[in-house]
Amino acid sequence: MSVTEVIVSIFLLIGAFFSLLGALGLIRLPDVYNRAHAAGKSSTFGVIFLILATFLFFLFTGEFNAKLLLAILFVFLTAPLSSLMVSRSAHRTDVPLYDKSIRDDLQETHKKKEKKQQKET
Amino acid sequence: MFQFIQYIALITMSISLIICFIRTLIGPSIPDRVLALDAFGINLIGFTGVIMILQDTIAYSDVILVLSILSFVSTVAVSKFIERGTIFERN
Amino acid sequence: MTFQIVINLIIAIGWMFFTESYTLPGFIMGYILGILSLLLLSRFISDTFYLKRLFKVATLIGMFFRALITSNIDMIKLIYMKKPEFEPGIFALPTTLKSDLEIVMLVHLISLTPRTLSVAVARDHSHLYIHAMDIDSIGETIDTIKSSFEQAIMEVTR
Repeated sequence: MSVTEVIVSIFLLIGAFFSLLGALGLIRLPDVYNRAHAAGKSSTFGVIFLILATFLFFLFTGEFNAKLLLAILFVFLTAPLSSLMVSRSAHRTDVPLYDKSIRDDLQETHKKKEKKQQKET
Repeated sequence: MFQFIQYIALITMSISLIICFIRTLIGPSIPDRVLALDAFGINLIGFTGVIMILQDTIAYSDVILVLSILSFVSTVAVSKFIERGTIFERN
Repeated sequence: MTFQIVINLIIAIGWMFFTESYTLPGFIMGYILGILSLLLLSRFISDTFYLKRLFKVATLIGMFFRALITSNIDMIKLIYMKKPEFEPGIFALPTTLKSDLEIVMLVHLISLTPRTLSVAVARDHSHLYIHAMDIDSIGETIDTIKSSFEQAIMEVTR
């Protein structure tokens, strides 16, 4: 194995490991909000490493492919925001939190808003 | 050896895709399923990257870009839909 | 900031005309000369020097990547534990940032720090609602968000 292949394979193994970690977190953690942690952090990290490995592989063979860098930027910018959207919609549609949860500040503001709306109507 | 490592990465990615799909099937609530589909899309991007190295072709780079955009837009659209019942708010 | 970049570009193009070499190295040479002359004259321009702001943007990007790496190392511990023993909860965090861009950057940064995930933003941008695993150990996290993150974002945008 040459040096470039060693670098590319290290990146590949790290990326595959963290993708598997995100998927395992998706199935092991107890409720939607905790699963959003795993999906938003680990999957993003793994995919960034995998695409970076692809980019380096083609860079070493002599092709500079900027589309892959663009895809890395896009995944990095959007993945936490999509987990925010999913968890917000889960909270609005009253998906219950995990049993051991202690505090829920957002619930109180929702109740206040509903009372206001009832008074107005 | 290099080929062996690529196959290991490919198999690991397939396992994580299968796990995401299982969560899509059994997820107790709808946001669970949406989250699992989002993670499925992101893992699919990495899968395509590994296949690009394995086949030594650059043709799938457009696929990666389009998948990353479609995954985000569809997640936002579906979660807005289950939140309010509409995607675009007309006030 | 835009004004300084335009002046820098004008100096670079002027240098190209001056030496009659219309190539990329000539342009880069002119750009470096422009940066030097702007640095010399920076006390006569009311705004701060724009490379200083660029440096702050670079530190912010470094902060993003540091948060991503530490949170993933934390995630390994969390997922390979035998039983998930933590007490999650959602708490409200008052923030002083105002505009949409600042709020989005803060939300992004919070979602990447270990064990925190932003769930919603109040309609008047006065609070962020953050879901945290281990809500007991959250005091330090609030302190770091307050001290370092908001400070770094404010230095970039204002």
